[in-house]
Amino acid sequence: MSKDVKIVGFCCNWCCYGGADTAGTARMQYPPNIRIIRVMCSGRMNPSMIFKAFKEGADGVFVGGCHIGDCHYDAGNYKWNRRALLTKEIIQEFGIDKERFRFEWISASEGEKFQRTMKEFYKTISELGSLEY
Amino acid sequence: MSGNYVLAKSNENLINEYGACGGAVSSIFQYLLANDVVDGVLTLSKGEDIYDGIPRLVTDAGEILETCGSLHCAPTMVSDLISKYLPDKRIAVAVKPCDAKAINELVKRHKIDPEKIFTVGLNCGGTVIPETAQKMIEKFYDVDPSKVIKEEIDKGQFIIELEDGTEKGIKIDDLEEQGYGRRENCQRCDLKVPRNADLACGNWGSEPGWTFVEINSEKGQDILDKAISEGFIETKEPSEKALGIREKVENIMINMGKRNQKDHFGENYLSVDEWKEQWNKCIKCFACRDVCPICWCRECELEKDYFKDGSDSAPDPLGFQGVRLSHMSFSCINCGQCEDVCPMEIPVSKIYHKLQRSYADLVGYEAGLGDEKPPLYSPLKENFD
Ligand SMILES: Cc1cc2nc3c(=O)[nH]c(=O)nc-3n(C[C@H](O)[C@H](O)[C@H](O)COP(=O)(O)OP(=O)(O)OC[C@H]3O[C@@H](n4cnc5c(N)ncnc54)[C@H](O)[C@@H]3O)c2cc1C
Ligand code: SF4
Ligand code: SF4
Ligand code: SF4
Ligand code: FES
Repeated sequence: MSKDVKIVGFCCNWCCYGGADTAGTARMQYPPNIRIIRVMCSGRMNPSMIFKAFKEGADGVFVGGCHIGDCHYDAGNYKWNRRALLTKEIIQEFGIDKERFRFEWISASEGEKFQRTMKEFYKTISELGSLEY
Repeated sequence: MSGNYVLAKSNENLINEYGACGGAVSSIFQYLLANDVVDGVLTLSKGEDIYDGIPRLVTDAGEILETCGSLHCAPTMVSDLISKYLPDKRIAVAVKPCDAKAINELVKRHKIDPEKIFTVGLNCGGTVIPETAQKMIEKFYDVDPSKVIKEEIDKGQFIIELEDGTEKGIKIDDLEEQGYGRRENCQRCDLKVPRNADLACGNWGSEPGWTFVEINSEKGQDILDKAISEGFIETKEPSEKALGIREKVENIMINMGKRNQKDHFGENYLSVDEWKEQWNKCIKCFACRDVCPICWCRECELEKDYFKDGSDSAPDPLGFQGVRLSHMSFSCINCGQCEDVCPMEIPVSKIYHKLQRSYADLVGYEAGLGDEKPPLYSPLKENFD
């Protein structure tokens, strides 16, 4: 168990980042281990960005986008979903537990879901400990 | 269109004699060149010896004779020669099933114009690395490899012919058990009859002096008909019995490939630590990327600053092979080229092919077949869990 796990969270501008904001303005507490990076859309994410985060020392990587059907750019989250599937397969080949990578659909109003997801993910990652990659 | 079969042979005696079977492939090429249907024919011709296959672009029908015959110890890849050097030409090409798959993937990437290419498929039971072939001929056949004038794969045996006409054959299974024989990717291959080419030609189900041809497209039928009417080849119907034999052998080979996939990706797959050891050997020469027919980008992400490693250590596996895997493993056609060229003998194609298979299980995409693009390129709102 490590208290110092590092988590990188990529959140799309229009939904998940808004969700994090909602959680913040409502003063909902979630673990400070997560560093959020804002991207315009989950469709902007590619597997390389996840790999780079792991390579640079992340113990867990999270990606949040709009709910299916709600993407600001129409189909970005469908595309991300397919890439995420492949990302999961690839990291395992290199000895990274698939639980260290998680993605969710969180809307701007779902501050509570954002908080819950972060707490859960933090728990998973701290149980797995820091990544020996 | 499938289910359309003929036996075909060249009407020219020399071609019929020097052809691997009936010389039908070569005479179809002659027809295409003589009638200006294509600008060139891409073939593989024998270089210094039987272990040396050189891609050769033929533009004169008179030279086709020099390219007759099958080379089993020349695991080449022709698709990227076409996309890189002949994109504007009308080309006919002899293709193994993996060549045909690579062409299919490059067509999907708009790198090859499907209107300009005519593919004459060769059934394929597998290819042997030239060096492996020479070593095993010395070791198991007790023959000086330079004395071999011909080799063939028939009825599960790798057969060599010497200058004095004597033949010697050993079961491929036995050779492979000892770590020789066909390349590992060929052992896993489950496309034996290239139905993704316009025609698929082979010796299975044929008679001496004839080539068995399966017609897979309208273009294939049209060109075959014209090669007949212009007098380059003649055809006859194969017997029911021949069809049965062919189907049986094909199925045995497919099952063997599937069994080897299970084995190579299961019991005999490398552990994470073993892979680490392998990637540790990598000298980042980029040969695996350069040779891969599916990797074609003008600007490769692997060379971006944000993935630069120190020059005195092996590249970060995830930041190197991981990235390449994420770009194209879903379209890996298991041609084995990456593994063939790796100077550090890392079993590269094993991981790419394995991921293609997992991806096929997840979303149903089979690389190199059909018209549909890989879901990763699709604009559709499809979801897979
Ligand atoms: C590696 C290999 C394995 C084969 N395995 C089988 C098999 O298991 N079962 C079966 O039924 N048939 C198999 N064949 C096909 C068979 O050997 C004949 O090529 C086919 O029947 C056509 O005969 P043909 O006389 O009409 O060809 P030809 O008129 O002799 O023309 C053959 C053409 O193939 C080209 N060629 C030769 N070697 C290669 C190569 N390695 N890669 C790409 N092009 C090449 C030549 O340049 C020539 O243009 C195999 C062929 C190859 C090359
Ligand atoms: S990854 Fe290797 S086996 Fe797969 S298509 Fe590329 S070169 Fe061929
Ligand atoms: S590794 Fe990726 S960027 Fe580089 S050539 Fe292959 S597909 Fe293109
Ligand atoms: S060919 Fe082998 S050594 Fe060269 S970059 Fe690829 S894996 Fe590394
Ligand atoms: S904008 Fe949120 S997923 Fe596309």
